[in-house]
Amino acid sequence: MGFEAQVKKNKNTIYVPDIARITRIEYLSPTEKVFKIVFDDEEKRNSFSFKPGQFVELTLFGLGEAPFSIVSNPTNKDFFKLCIRNAGNISNALHRMVEGTKIGIRGPFGNGYFPYDKMKNHNVLLIAGGLGIAPLMSLIRYILHYREDYKEIMVIYGAVNPGSILFKNEIQYWSNRGDISLCLSVDNPDNKWTGEIGVCTKLIPRVDFPSNDTYIVVCGPPIMYRYVIYELEKKKFKPENIYLSLERRMECGVGKCNHCHIGDKLVCVDGPVFNLWEIRNLKEAL
Amino acid sequence: MLYKILEKGIYKDFIKALISDYEFIGPKKKDKSEHDFVLIKDISELDTNYMRTTIPPAKKILFPPNEQLVAYELGENINVRSVVESSKKILFGINAWDINGMNFLDKFFTTDFIDENYVAKREKLLVIGMDSEPTETNFSPSMGAEYAKDGFDIYLTELKNRYFVRIATPKGNEIVENYTKTRDVSDEDFKEYDKYMDDYRMKFKLDVAIKSFYDDFESIYNDEEFWKRVAKDCYSCGSCNLVCPTCFCFNVKDDIELNLKSGKKIREWDSCMIPEYGLVAGGHNFRPDKENRLKQRYRCKLKTFIDKFGKYACVGCGRCIEACLAKINIAEDINSVKKEVSI
Repeated sequence: MGFEAQVKKNKNTIYVPDIARITRIEYLSPTEKVFKIVFDDEEKRNSFSFKPGQFVELTLFGLGEAPFSIVSNPTNKDFFKLCIRNAGNISNALHRMVEGTKIGIRGPFGNGYFPYDKMKNHNVLLIAGGLGIAPLMSLIRYILHYREDYKEIMVIYGAVNPGSILFKNEIQYWSNRGDISLCLSVDNPDNKWTGEIGVCTKLIPRVDFPSNDTYIVVCGPPIMYRYVIYELEKKKFKPENIYLSLERRMECGVGKCNHCHIGDKLVCVDGPVFNLWEIRNLKEAL
Repeated sequence: MLYKILEKGIYKDFIKALISDYEFIGPKKKDKSEHDFVLIKDISELDTNYMRTTIPPAKKILFPPNEQLVAYELGENINVRSVVESSKKILFGINAWDINGMNFLDKFFTTDFIDENYVAKREKLLVIGMDSEPTETNFSPSMGAEYAKDGFDIYLTELKNRYFVRIATPKGNEIVENYTKTRDVSDEDFKEYDKYMDDYRMKFKLDVAIKSFYDDFESIYNDEEFWKRVAKDCYSCGSCNLVCPTCFCFNVKDDIELNLKSGKKIREWDSCMIPEYGLVAGGHNFRPDKENRLKQRYRCKLKTFIDKFGKYACVGCGRCIEACLAKINIAEDINSVKKEVSI
């Protein structure tokens, strides 16, 4: 048939995972852990590279597969890390795993990533709600690695309560650095909390970055996007400079199973990061 | 494309020879109203005068309801390998709209990432097409699918005492040359063929307003009342997906043997109409309402792939209309979108 020519005979099909090992598990909160992952095969370890915002499909053999965004710095070559909340079948099982567990990895997937290259020589505003901080970590770590390439950097991060703030040590380190501004806000403070109170959208009016020189990335629960965008548009930030990472159910990660379908876009191959201009008229996206 | 004439007198010998030499899949009468595409061992089982097929023939051969993708053995080292099953087959008697459905899947499974599980089966499939009578729910001419331009190796059109043979591939030509005798096509044969096609097209009675759907759909997209009315009776059962010759959604699941030492990954058909389709970990459902799921189905069938491939993901076979327990009718709904918008 007509497509014979374009078929490349690979050793493996797109559904076969590579074997990797969980080499370290860090406890972040009662519901989140960070898993450090290393490929068994040296060749795969050397060839694997990803861009901030991309994700992998993780297999627990016998249980199944689920997509997770990568949280580590893309400049780390020998390993990558995933931050996982125990919310579903696979993630709950992962929380019961020990260091040394063998898993399967496919990816990285996603043609839409955070445009770390375009952001160079501009201000960057990062807005995260809850676990939405995880996909942004990869970008923040990259930007801080090449800090001199970027102008002002600001992170707005909202969490439910002080206990659910993730990556506390790293956030402490950022505030010590002095070259990244940080706005933390919690919905339910405890009596030791001295920071902001309420949803993180309330902090956006205070941002004083010029609208024509700023890239914005947003990641959080589905409900958050509409409010954040409303506030950002009030400040006249350009939709083409606003990047959002979307979540959908995925079974394959390679544009075949169709579960992540929004209009004519597939989150797995066209995203998971989209700029607002691309999807502002895409019904059901936000 | 090569055009040839096959005399009816030697047609049966041609088919018999193919049945004895190949794994031969063709239509067989299942009960009063339905035919199924199954392995044919003897020509007496074959019945090409079919109207309805239970499950789309092309799809289940190339994209089975359950298909193993990966096999693995657990232990000190985990051994993983891909499983790609394919064998040389002849698919006989498939009609034009189902060939066009298959053409859509060909494009779909080879875009972005290449799905070798599908492609391997497709490459080894020799397709011999044949017209079948349309049902009253069939609107393939509106979708441009009542005639197959490609996607087959050989297409037989029954004229008076002979078959008009279209040979689309060298593989098809080899079969014709090795298994039967044909003669060249005369002007008269061509004339009769054209006349046949004109008459054949007249048999399709149902017409849908698909031309204006692209824009009309956008303008009616937010009309919640309209979509609630359209989906009012939907049971979210997924019957429409199961019978569709172009539906491709699937789930992937792991299945481990009782000895916990070996396992496999299997894909199985999924349905965009069932509530769990948009459910993610943590309990959020991105498409909880049945009217939104039906709307999304119509978008996928009639609009999405116009933007992507320049073709519809619907061939107008009308199977979903007949399969729907709630009598939801895609043809009527396309027309009512136009009616609603033009008021």
